[in-house]
Parts: sequence; structure tokens; C-alpha cells
Amino acid sequence: MLYLEDIRTFYGEIEALKGLTLEARKGEVTCVLGPNGAGKTTTMFTIAGILKPRTGTLFLEDENLTHVSAQSRVRKGIALVPENRLIFPQMTIAENLDTGALSRPLKDAGIQEDILKMYERFPRLHERKEQMAGTLSGGEQQMLAIARALMAKPKILLMDEPSLGLAPLIVKEIFNIIRQLNEEGVTILLVEQNAKMALTVADHVYLIEQGKVTFNGNPSEIHQDEVIRRAYLGSEVS
Amino acid sequence: MLNDYLLTVISNIGMISMIAISAYLILITGEISFGQQAYFGISAYAGSIATTLWGWPFWMALIFGSFLAGVAGGLISALTVRINGIYYSIATLAFAEMVRLSLLKFSYQFEIDGEWIGPNGSEGFGEIRWIFENDISILEYTLLIYLVLFLLIAFIYLIEHSKLGMIFRMLGQDPLLASVQGVKIIRYKVLAASLAGFAAGLGGMLYAHSFTYIEPQIFNVMLGVHSLAYGLIGGLGTVLGPIIGVVLDIGFLESIRGIQGYRMIVFGGLMAVMLIFMPRGILDEKRVHRFKKFWEGKTHV
Amino acid sequence: MITDFVQNCIDGIMVGSGYSLLALGFTLVFGVLKRLNLSYGPSIMLGAYVGTWSFLNIADNIWLVLLTTICATVVIGIYVEQLCFRAVSKETTIASMVSSFAIWMQLEEIALHLLPERTYPFPAFFDSGLLEFGPFTARSEYLFMFVVMLLLLLILHAFIYRTRIGLAIRAYSDHPSASAYMGIDGSSVLFLAFIIVSIIGGIAGFLILSADSQITPFFGLWATFKGLIAMMLGGIGSLSGAVLGGLILGVIEANAFWYGDPVIRDISSFMLLFTMLIIRPGGIFGHKIEIHQKIASERV
Repeated sequence: MLYLEDIRTFYGEIEALKGLTLEARKGEVTCVLGPNGAGKTTTMFTIAGILKPRTGTLFLEDENLTHVSAQSRVRKGIALVPENRLIFPQMTIAENLDTGALSRPLKDAGIQEDILKMYERFPRLHERKEQMAGTLSGGEQQMLAIARALMAKPKILLMDEPSLGLAPLIVKEIFNIIRQLNEEGVTILLVEQNAKMALTVADHVYLIEQGKVTFNGNPSEIHQDEVIRRAYLGSEVS
Repeated sequence: MLNDYLLTVISNIGMISMIAISAYLILITGEISFGQQAYFGISAYAGSIATTLWGWPFWMALIFGSFLAGVAGGLISALTVRINGIYYSIATLAFAEMVRLSLLKFSYQFEIDGEWIGPNGSEGFGEIRWIFENDISILEYTLLIYLVLFLLIAFIYLIEHSKLGMIFRMLGQDPLLASVQGVKIIRYKVLAASLAGFAAGLGGMLYAHSFTYIEPQIFNVMLGVHSLAYGLIGGLGTVLGPIIGVVLDIGFLESIRGIQGYRMIVFGGLMAVMLIFMPRGILDEKRVHRFKKFWEGKTHV
Repeated sequence: MITDFVQNCIDGIMVGSGYSLLALGFTLVFGVLKRLNLSYGPSIMLGAYVGTWSFLNIADNIWLVLLTTICATVVIGIYVEQLCFRAVSKETTIASMVSSFAIWMQLEEIALHLLPERTYPFPAFFDSGLLEFGPFTARSEYLFMFVVMLLLLLILHAFIYRTRIGLAIRAYSDHPSASAYMGIDGSSVLFLAFIIVSIIGGIAGFLILSADSQITPFFGLWATFKGLIAMMLGGIGSLSGAVLGGLILGVIEANAFWYGDPVIRDISSFMLLFTMLIIRPGGIFGHKIEIHQKIASERV
């Protein structure tokens, strides 16, 4: 579904992605793991079009999106749930959801319907829909950020560290949501540091280090590889 | 040879540099003041009253005027310590305009040698005759201005290279972080503002005695915004930055006669373009740092 | 006695509706950009100079003047946006402000080259008339300005809160980088905001100047000052706050002028502003600002 080939992204003269090749298959949860500074968020920004790669190609389904702007990529079906959530704090929850649908045509009658669906999925957002989003707790903000991204009716949902800075119990809840979304057929590309949780939902795993893919396989293979297991999961995991 | 016109330009650069340094001091603590002209004005009036009406010696009057300006600066800073950003900028603007307008109502005259002398509202304050009475030439007065400027720069330089300077820059970059590290924000903001008021005051008092006539209109917001702009053009990395800004504006533009009448069209455009490429001025922190490294490398070899 | 006071208040509201118009523009541009555009007043001034120029050199037609004033203000607004706000890096808000000040100086000098004498007549929109309501009076052109101002407030409010473009503008102003992830193009939002603000400015300049029936280069400074004060009084970012701020400023000025003189009028408006900034920095209607600042400081 989403296919990146030999992507090189630079920050000035610093090469952050050094020829990254990666695929996210339809209907699957693809998970990108890696230490701090490996280039996980850079990968997300490159896919979303916020950073432009110097070389390489990016395909969504059969369409080449390499030179398409961030704005159009949202319209083409790539939605990002950014790191640290980044909701609009001074706008109400309902308005935040509206902003998610800005990429859809005005005549789309399904928008109101989808908002109701989101409230059904996240009842806590429904209760607080006229509240300023800045007053929500971290977990609720994460839910809002996910719901807002879903409002764009994406073909693929990019999630950048959804567990960051949340309490363990909330993290579990968020991953339940991810699992549920995947069961409903949403394709997800997930970037995480919390490898343990990520592996519970992943269908396919990439490890990246210093801007390169160092491992590519399914989660069970990770469990078999002693070195990787130690590095990412700690030794107590069986 | 130095003619009178050139000397006037040079002494202007010296005096305006002092208010530019004043605006710069506030800038490095992270706030934008539109109101430094108020302190320039307060000291110009107070210092001139002291020499002309009370017969004080020049140096005492200079210290008196500047001290008064410093106290006013500290006071306003203490009042506005809870606000920042645009709120602070507009508050300083409002204060400066209050001072200017109050001077329009301020009248305090003595009869000296059969003439009424002293500030008289919108008519201004003339006959500040200290340089004539003491028979001081333009050259001598210019040297005097530069002596004061030199002392001021040396003083600020010492501060910048002390713990105090570091604290000022901390306040400018992240007051929250500074307070977490135990810096008493209010105390240092007030201190910086008092210093800034004092610096502007030096310039104002010297200005009044150089022109022998002042009126409230001189201390309008244009003076304040210009002095702010000087620091930003010259650079926020060192105290020499604002002086470069003043030299560029007054020195450079006064000397090019051909663009008279189009001066601001050219200069305004140039300045806007320059700020695109150097948003913190010519001598910004990075370049100052690089120069320093370069210099240290040389002296070590 | 009381009739004097009421009459002053009426006069103040009439004049204040001009301040409100200017404050609307200021609050919009500051709300979206979080940066101060000092050259807003001077761009209106130069726009109005172009209007007067067309009045003197092309045709004695009031609609032409209105049209040229608005168009010229929009063109200048775009120039300011491109030079001082788009190109200057977002982290350095002071650079934008100082460069907008540099452009102010530039605009003033261009105005002097366009029409070298300082004062020019500005055509009146319609013949001035004094309307009487019992013991009170109001000038018709000011009343007209007041009505236009209220209409503009309603239109703007509907635009910002009821349309998708308005939603995009608000999203951008709330969190520019988050809005980029929603597919909002920040530079289009900026451009659009400047066009809207310039149109409001053009209308404001035209109405105020045609009520005054003359124009000088000082109008730029005046407009920036009055707009800023009214905006700060009402509370930044609030449309109705801007309008009320303008009206309050007008009423206070009118009374201070009646019981005092022009200097007292100006001192009292600055004194009011200063006191309010110290005691209630969010403006008369802006408790929201405090939350805003709190959140912003948490995020830093």
C-alpha cells in the first residue's frame, strides 16, 4: 500500500535518513522501532510531506507522491497523528474534529456522520465536546488526535509515538484502540519506542538505526533473535 | 579637518548610541521596550534643570538626571513585571507617551537675569547654556560625550562578561528555566531595566546640553522605535551591535547626500531585506561566538 | 450637566467606531500571526493617499476613491506580508516587528513623494448632516461609520466561526505546526488573512478620512496607535473585544476632551491603557488570554 524506496532526508548537511526502504501493507499494522535519534520521526515527517527527501521515491497504492505537497498528501489519504499529540488547545473538541475534515470536500455529507461515529468510539470526547481541547488529560488528547486524524478518512494512518508521556494504563487503552482500528480494516504505520507494547499489535516490524533499516520481519522473528530481543525488550521477555 | 557639521554628526552618533544601548539591554533580557525615550527625556529635563536653574555642576547633574531615569526605569519594570511580550511592549509605549504628554503640561520657570528660564510645556526648554557659559568647543563636548560612552560600554562589557550578564541572557532565552534554576526573575528584570534607564538617561542629559534646547516632541515614540531597531540591525550578540546600527543609520545615511528624499525608501527596504537573512542583526550571538573562537585561536598560536 | 455627558458619550461612540474598525484589523492580524504589524496604520495611510491621488488626478468620483483606497491598501498589505512576515523566520518575532517598522518609514516617504504637500482634501462620502435626537445630536457620516462597523463585525464573526476557511484560520492561529498536519497550508492562511485585514483597513481608512475630510502622513501613526490601544483594551484576539475597546476608548477620549483639553485627552487614554495592562493584561473581555498564556508557558 505505502512504499518507500531508498529515501534520503537531510537536515541541512546532516543526513538523517540514509537510504530507507520500507513497505506498509494494506490492512496491517506496520511498526517501526528504533532508539532515540534513529530517524523515526524523520521517517514520519517525510511520509507526511513535511520534510522533503533529497532522493528516493514514495508510492501510495500506485500513485507516486514523492513530489506532492503535505497538503495534498492529506487529501490523497495519508493522515498523521503527530508526536506529543498537538491538538488545538484553544478550540473545542468538536472544532478540533472539524479541522480533521478540512481536507475533505465541503459537500461531503458524511462528515457529520463521521463525527458522530467518533463520539461513539470515544464516548469521553462526546461528553466534553464543547470543552476547550487544552483542558483534556494527556490520554484524552491522544484520543482526540487519533479521532481528528481519522476524520480525514485516511487510507493509511501514521502514528508517531502514541504512548509518549502517558501512564501505563492509558498506554494499554491506546493500544487497544489501535488493535480495534486495525480489526476494522485501517492500515496503520506505527512508530514507537515502547517495543513491548508495539509488538503486541504489529503484523510486521522494521528496526531502524542511524537512518537505515537493520531488521525487517514479523514480530515472532524478533523474539527469536537474541541480540535484538535483549536490546529492545529486555531479557525477561520470553 | 573635522568641521562643525561632521562633529555634530559624530556627537549625535555618540548620544543616540546610549539610548540604543538602553534598548539593547532590555532586548537581551527578552523584552521589547517601545519606551526608552521616556528615560532619555526624563534625564534631559532633570539634568538641564539642575545645571540651568539650580546651578549644579555638570557631572553632578549628569549623574542626577541619569539616576532619576534609572529609578523610573526600575519602577516601571517593577510595575510591569507580571506581563511580557506584546503586553510589556505596549505598556512601555503607554508609559513613554504619558511622560511625553505630561511634559507638555510641565512648567517650572525661574527668573534669571531678567529672563524667565526653564521648561514651559509645549514651548519647550531653551537656554541650556552650560557649554557656552563654560566656553566649551564642539570638539571638546564631542570628546566628553565619547568619554561617557566609552565608560558606559566598558561598564556594560564588564557586566556581560560576568555572572550578571549570563543571568540577563538566561532571562531572555527562557525565564521559566531561569526561575527553575533559582534566579530571582523580578530582581534581575528590575535591575536590567534600571541600568537601561540609566544608560538612556546619560544620552538624554548630554543631548539636552548639546542642542541647548529641548521640547517634549523630541522624545516621541519614533526615537524609541529607532533605538530599538539599531540594536536589531547591529546585532544582539554584543554591546557593540547597537552602536553599529546607529553608525549605519546616522553616519552612513547622513553622509550620502544623493539619496536625500529617498533615504527611508532605500534604508527601510534594505533593513527589511537584511532582517530576512540576519534576524538577530549583523553581530548576533553566533557570529560573536565565531569571532571569539577565531580570535582565541589566533592568540593561542 | 448630564446631557453634556450623554452627548460626549454619543460623540465618543461615533468617533470610537473608527477606532473599532482599526482594532478589528489589528486583532485579526495579531491573532493569526502572533506578531505585531506596526506598518498596518501606515499602509492604510498610503492606500488612502492613492485614493486621494485618484480623486485629484482621475475623476471626482467617491466610489473610485473607495475602490482605489481598498485596492492600494491590499497591494501594500501583500507587500508587507511578503517582506516582513513570510520571509522572516518565525522564531524571531522581533525581526518581523522591526522590519514592519522599517517599511512604515518607507511607506511614509513614498506617500510624500506621491503627493508632496502634507495635507490633502479627502472627499466626503455624503454631505455631512447633523441628526437630532431630542437634545442630542450625531453627525450622519459618523453614524454611517458606526453602522458599517457593526455590519463588518457580524460578517467577520460569521466568516471566522461559521466557515471552513475561518476554521482553517483559527486552527492555524491556535497551533501552526499542528495545522500543517491537518493539510492546512500556512502560507495561504497568512496571505488570506492579510488580504482580509487590508480590505478592512481600506474601508476603515476611507470612512475615517472622509469623515475628517482631509489626510496627512501622520494618519499612519495615528491609526496604528488608536488601533493598538483599542485592541489591547478589548483583549487580543477577540473580535467583539476589539469593537468594544474602540468604543470605550472613544467615550473616554470624548469626555476627557470636554472636561479637559487635547493633552489631557491623550494622557487619559494612555493612562487607562497602562493601568489596565498592569491590572488586567488580558483586556476587559479577555479572561481567555490568561489560559492561553498559561498553556503557552507550559509548552515552552
